[in-house]
Amino acid sequence: MSATVNPSSSGGSGSSCGGGGGSSSSSGGSGPCGACKFLRRKCVPGCIFAPYFDSEQGAAHFAAVHKVFGASNVSKLLLHIPVHKRLDAVVTVCYEAQARLRDPVYGCVSHIFALQQQVVNLQAELSYLQTHLATLELPSPPAPPPPPATLVTSPPLSIADLPSASSVPATYDLSSLFDPMTQPSWAMQQRQMDPRQFGGSTGSSSATSGGGDLQSLARELLHRNGSPPQGSMSCTGSLSSPSISKRD
Amino acid sequence: MINGRCSACKYLRRKCPLDCIFSPYFPSNDPERFSCVHKIYGSSNVGKMLQQLPVHLRAAAADCLCYEARCRIQDPVYGCVGIISLLYQQIHSAENQLAETKAEIAVLAVNKNFQI
Repeated sequence: MSATVNPSSSGGSGSSCGGGGGSSSSSGGSGPCGACKFLRRKCVPGCIFAPYFDSEQGAAHFAAVHKVFGASNVSKLLLHIPVHKRLDAVVTVCYEAQARLRDPVYGCVSHIFALQQQVVNLQAELSYLQTHLATLELPSPPAPPPPPATLVTSPPLSIADLPSASSVPATYDLSSLFDPMTQPSWAMQQRQMDPRQFGGSTGSSSATSGGGDLQSLARELLHRNGSPPQGSMSCTGSLSSPSISKRD
Repeated sequence: MINGRCSACKYLRRKCPLDCIFSPYFPSNDPERFSCVHKIYGSSNVGKMLQQLPVHLRAAAADCLCYEARCRIQDPVYGCVGIISLLYQQIHSAENQLAETKAEIAVLAVNKNFQI
């Protein structure tokens, strides 16, 4: 299996597919994997990166991962993860690395802040409407309460307000990262939000404006690895964004 | 001045220079903070990332790096992406509830109009 990380081909074509399990490994004359190519080292059999960074576009994407995390750290991370989960880990590591390169200050946290703000706004609107519904259900309902002033504006979030990984449920659907419709367009407005109550946002709204590229990156990676790691990957033209269940 | 070392220099067992890039953001009273970022990013990468930023943005960057590192340690497979997925689920759920509530309001409003 090879996971070609190719943000440019968001259409998910199979043309740049790394092929079956043999082509991406170091064995035979197929050459080093993208990671070893980037690191300019011999790609040994059983290279931990080989299944996930093919020799064609993998080097470019490994470059981002190496710059942010470092090859050694990623290698250690993957070694501690079961084999069947490593693809997901590589996808998310690539996502975070790309986000960090696009937004060196906030990385993917800006996206999290934007989504958290959207959750807060939706919950406020829901609360208001539920109150309004309750008044309508009364026999002689009073005038509906005025919309809360904080329906649109809310106090700026801080990192302490963000959820922690321990509060995340067991089921993850990476496809939500891939659907451009769910990317909050208003997230661009949220770039004005200062996570630590600093003044103003960064100059580049990279994590949100670059979200499409990040989505296509993750989509491409998962598309090319729709089959389990043990089998050879078959590249198809259709995109599939599997729902991934976490098992402890 | 060994007692004045930041948590990064304590962790790395080195002298803490006056212009230490880490000391404003990794105080000695929070050793776990640097331990997390070191485990995920490595001190060299963190130092480079902070060096490349204007001084007034480094604190935010350090906080975000810590947050991401902690997420990754707690969830080695999904890290922050798990949080993003959770938030998308919450948004989806809230939007569904909103749609249902609006529909209920619309029905009640129509019924009341008929009654009038």
